[in-house]
Amino acid sequence: MAPVGDTSVAVGGVLSRLPLGSLAMVEKKAGPGGDERRPTPTFAYYRRGVLGERYLSSVGASAVAIAREAGGITILAGKVLRSLFPPSMDWRELVRNLHKMANRSVPIVVLTAFFTGGIMVIQSGIFVKRFNAAGLVGWASGYAVFREIGPILIALMFSGRVGANNTAELGTMTVTEQLDGLRALAIDPIRYLIVPRVVAMMVSLFALVVIGDLIALGGGLLFSKLILGVEYSTFYYSLVDNLTPGDFLHGLIKAAVFGISIALTSCYFGVSVRGGAVGVGRAVNAAVVAAAVSIMLLDFFLTYLLG
Amino acid sequence: MTVRPYIERLGARTLDGVDAGLALWGVFVGTFAGIIRGGRPKGEVVRQLYVIGNKSVVFVAVTLGFIGMVMVYQSCLQLNRVTGDLSQIGPEFLKLLVHDFAPTLTAMMLATRVGAGIAAEVGSMKVTEQIDALRMSGVRPIDYLIVPRFLATVIATVCLTVLGATVAYLMGGLTAAMSFHVNPDIFFDLSRVTPTHLFLGLSKAICYGAAIPIISGFCGLRARGSSEGVGWATTAAVIGSSFAVILIDFIISAFGLTVLGGGL
Repeated sequence: MAPVGDTSVAVGGVLSRLPLGSLAMVEKKAGPGGDERRPTPTFAYYRRGVLGERYLSSVGASAVAIAREAGGITILAGKVLRSLFPPSMDWRELVRNLHKMANRSVPIVVLTAFFTGGIMVIQSGIFVKRFNAAGLVGWASGYAVFREIGPILIALMFSGRVGANNTAELGTMTVTEQLDGLRALAIDPIRYLIVPRVVAMMVSLFALVVIGDLIALGGGLLFSKLILGVEYSTFYYSLVDNLTPGDFLHGLIKAAVFGISIALTSCYFGVSVRGGAVGVGRAVNAAVVAAAVSIMLLDFFLTYLLG
Repeated sequence: MTVRPYIERLGARTLDGVDAGLALWGVFVGTFAGIIRGGRPKGEVVRQLYVIGNKSVVFVAVTLGFIGMVMVYQSCLQLNRVTGDLSQIGPEFLKLLVHDFAPTLTAMMLATRVGAGIAAEVGSMKVTEQIDALRMSGVRPIDYLIVPRFLATVIATVCLTVLGATVAYLMGGLTAAMSFHVNPDIFFDLSRVTPTHLFLGLSKAICYGAAIPIISGFCGLRARGSSEGVGWATTAAVIGSSFAVILIDFIISAFGLTVLGGGL
């Protein structure tokens, strides 16, 4: 088990500035005008500035930052993939993470899904009232919940609860140099910390979406009776006759992919924290935002791919 | 090995819950009192508007744009399977966007970005005892910190909802035209939206904009310990505000359907 640093340093200057590549090196010499993030400019700063050099350079700087983050996440994904074939990771850490991420998230997922089901029924209820089409409720709300709303909303909740917490945890370990400590003990941080988390998040989100979908349908069933007066059997047959297992599977594939992307972004922002406790806070914020954007982007591409 | 520890834990949790509920109520009332009372630093609302609103523009536009494309794609797919008549998709989509999806999804996005930001900021002030220092110098922390963020978030949520709805509608129309050959003239038909829809959407946006800063500020003010406590406050803020968004959506939608049902 070689330390992670060895693999990417050879590639050159650009890669050595990425996280995990060699955290110790980066901390020693922050490159010229590079890694220290500038403080947030005040409102007055932007009011003073003319549209021109300052604006263009800020566009360029954010483009470079996005490219750096995307590249870092890709490299992290490659490293995680390599340690999965053959699977070598810390299994006890995996079980611990599964408990922490999945079991502890069940209450919030159940609550979210229950009301989501209700909201979907209310939205389709407009058609029921207008066309007197009670047979559509189960189909419409089930289709929306299985394919889009279920995976997306649960993934957003999961990212807020588990992803943010994960970034904070890894970030605190990074700024207190515990990752370097692990490397000094010849323990690969990727195998010990990152891979179990990625696997655990993927499995957790998959399982939580299965639970959430069922709860959302239960909520839909209940609220369609309470608010719209649709019989339980009407709802059930409308659902069963019009939806296929493929619709359910569509959402589950999305859930697994969202889980991986939340895991990779939150781990990346966690291990690339710089600048002490304040940096951890900033990283948590960045991780949650990046996870939300990646969920929406991936949802779009997956919808096209899965048809 | 008796049941006593469980009962004790249940009781402790209940007390914690009641305590938290009262504190949240305190922040809620204090915020509204603070708006009337004034005493916020000059220019703070504008600065917060910049941090909360302007900085979220790209984020909201990107996410809502993709959501719009996906939703139109999915509904066209399903409608093709059932009726094959895609002429209704544009007007119905706009209606759904205006009275539900645009405010709710924009607020979900803002709950992650803005909620986490507010909780982290207020929370780190709390754990470094800056809040106590404010109190010592006779400044009410809620007036000074929460009220400007509250006003800014309410305004920003409404503006960003309008932006998000526009972007989602345009991207949806693009998807329908490119993938399903729906005529843009038929898609971009604004005649279905009634004042009731606008009223529902606007009241949702305002309520979300009010809930996010109050819950996040509350979580920040309750942060304990050190940086770890701030991390927990941030997580609680994101979860709390996202869940509040869903709950408010449910309540207002149910109200809209049962009370204003004729207008829909």
